[in-house]
Amino acid sequence: MKPVDWYLALAIILFCIGAYGVLARRNIILVVMSLELMLNAVNIALVAFANFMPTASPRGTYFVLFVITLAAAEVTVGLAIVIANYRNRRSVQTDDYDELKG
Amino acid sequence: MTGGTWYWVLFGLCAAWVIVCGIGVVALRNIVHSAVSMVFCFLGVAFIYVLLNAELLAVIQILIYVGAISVVILFGIMLTEHPRGRLGLFFNRQSIFVLPLVVATMLGFVALAVSAKLPPSGSESHNPALEVLSKALFNEYVYPFELVSVVLLAAMVGAILLARRED
Repeated sequence: MKPVDWYLALAIILFCIGAYGVLARRNIILVVMSLELMLNAVNIALVAFANFMPTASPRGTYFVLFVITLAAAEVTVGLAIVIANYRNRRSVQTDDYDELKG
Repeated sequence: MTGGTWYWVLFGLCAAWVIVCGIGVVALRNIVHSAVSMVFCFLGVAFIYVLLNAELLAVIQILIYVGAISVVILFGIMLTEHPRGRLGLFFNRQSIFVLPLVVATMLGFVALAVSAKLPPSGSESHNPALEVLSKALFNEYVYPFELVSVVLLAAMVGAILLARRED
């Protein structure tokens, strides 16, 4: 395996752990946390490519800077929505958010 | 930088740290424990950035993820009420099917990444120095930079509006 493969494997494993959290957990805040894990996994892959690929320019690093900023914005709005929902339903469990059920 | 046994020993330690803490986030029942595990996972990712010669990103990771995002999430946890009890409260009914699906996806993508014909990696780092990075950020990438600041402002106003009590 080449050096970049190890980092890619780590990124894929972390991404899949986050995907499991998003798909399997009921708590909406835990879903947001798992999403952050997935974003971190993608960042690791981007930085690994920027570091190891001889043909790549360092654009991966710039991209990661913007991803981190947008992740901060996303988590702020996400938690505001969670708290607004909690005020209405008194619950953070995803299966209690069933108003759109037909 | 990438050569040497010690580099890979350090990488193995950091990778094991990140994976164990990541599993802790999704598997622990108490959500506060999950949040603390997430903080340590982000810290491990910062170490991974250092191993990848991206020291600035490591500092930013610690400032934003370990410092800011974790605190916001902990506030979100404290402002809401969380159930305690049996395991069925924490995992979906469908989670039995999710686990093999995720494991199969993981193995498939790892096999794909290993078998992909990536160009051979050079020995030296290609990550930019701080000076190069900041020059590029304020010249070539100045429009994305300004756009992101507008997005941050909109997110801030939106979060205040959404979380405000309506009365």
